[in-house]
Amino acid sequence: MNDRIKQYLDGIFALYDGVKSVNELKADLLSDLQERFCELKADGNDDETAFKITIDSIGDIEQTVQDVANLSRSLERQVLTNFSVSNLPKSDFAGVTAHKGKFEVSTLCGSDFSGADLTGSSFKISGVRDSNFDGTNLTDCTLYMNNLTGASFNQSILVRTEFNMSEITHAKFTDVKLIDVKLIMTDLRKTIFENCTFNGVDFNYCDLRGMSLDGLTFIGVKFDKTALNEVTFKGATLKNVSFIAASTWTSWSKKYYRAIKTICFDGAMMDKLTFASLKGLGADLSKVTVI
Amino acid sequence: MVESNISSDLIRGHIDTIILKLLGDGDKYGYEITRIIHSKTNGEFELKEATMYSGLKRLEHEGSILSYWGDETQGGRRRYYSITKKGRQLFDKNKKNWELTKKIIEKLI
Repeated sequence: MNDRIKQYLDGIFALYDGVKSVNELKADLLSDLQERFCELKADGNDDETAFKITIDSIGDIEQTVQDVANLSRSLERQVLTNFSVSNLPKSDFAGVTAHKGKFEVSTLCGSDFSGADLTGSSFKISGVRDSNFDGTNLTDCTLYMNNLTGASFNQSILVRTEFNMSEITHAKFTDVKLIDVKLIMTDLRKTIFENCTFNGVDFNYCDLRGMSLDGLTFIGVKFDKTALNEVTFKGATLKNVSFIAASTWTSWSKKYYRAIKTICFDGAMMDKLTFASLKGLGADLSKVTVI
Repeated sequence: MVESNISSDLIRGHIDTIILKLLGDGDKYGYEITRIIHSKTNGEFELKEATMYSGLKRLEHEGSILSYWGDETQGGRRRYYSITKKGRQLFDKNKKNWELTKKIIEKLI
């Protein structure tokens, strides 16, 4: 019967799923209704009667949900403007909801953003080294020219997140699906990627020299004009991956072609298109499986 | 459990004050508040959950009350509400207004 009460609330709250304050209201309401239902049962009512009285006690909840959603939106607005040009090292932002927050030109080293929902936020030119982004929702966030040295991204949500020109040395990405993420012009040689998949990720102009990308999955990824000397893709999966040098026969593109020949693809699996383009660039594909 | 529209409309304007009064006697969780109102009015007025939470969230937002998680050892955790200094001041003000209004209405009807 508790399931039936929960289902009833799920129906009412479906439209507002994900709004934190509304989720709290739902949890409060659920425990109230469960207690009421138990009391009604203890008074000798049958299941059906008890359920009906319980549901009847809710009243006009739609307006309340709307009010609560509006209150929290105004709270989120207050958060918005506050953190630009701030000096807030080791701050606690764990679990906060701050859509389109601004953390620009700020010092936030060692801060805790774990579990926070920062969708659409901007961290331009900020220092967030050694910060914790575990489980953080960074969808549509801009982290342009940041210092992210040593930051942790365990099971973070990275969709259309831009890390362009940021310092990401010693940052650690574990169990992350990077979707349409941009890592343009970053030095990733000492960045750690464990159990990650890269879907539509842009590594253009990155420095990946000597990196091990073994066993990782790359779909629709761009390695155009990327420094790829001695990179290993052992046992990696590559689909629709693009390797393009500069358009003209410059010294830069010569370097790119030379670098392609130093990449180790042993045991990698790739689709025909990726295979063909790499073959054209003279890569060693002798131990590659075409899928 | 009678809730005629007329009485509920008249009472609704005072829900915040009623909640503040109850929390003034001690911290409470949501269902506790509806239950006390039910028993204090001998079942003549039933405060709907929706109406109560509108009041609680409004009061919390303006800083008249605050909430915290209880530490129940069994069953689900409950959020308790607690009155603040600001809330006590608001209650005193509302109560004075009500006394005044009551006198005026009694003279007129």
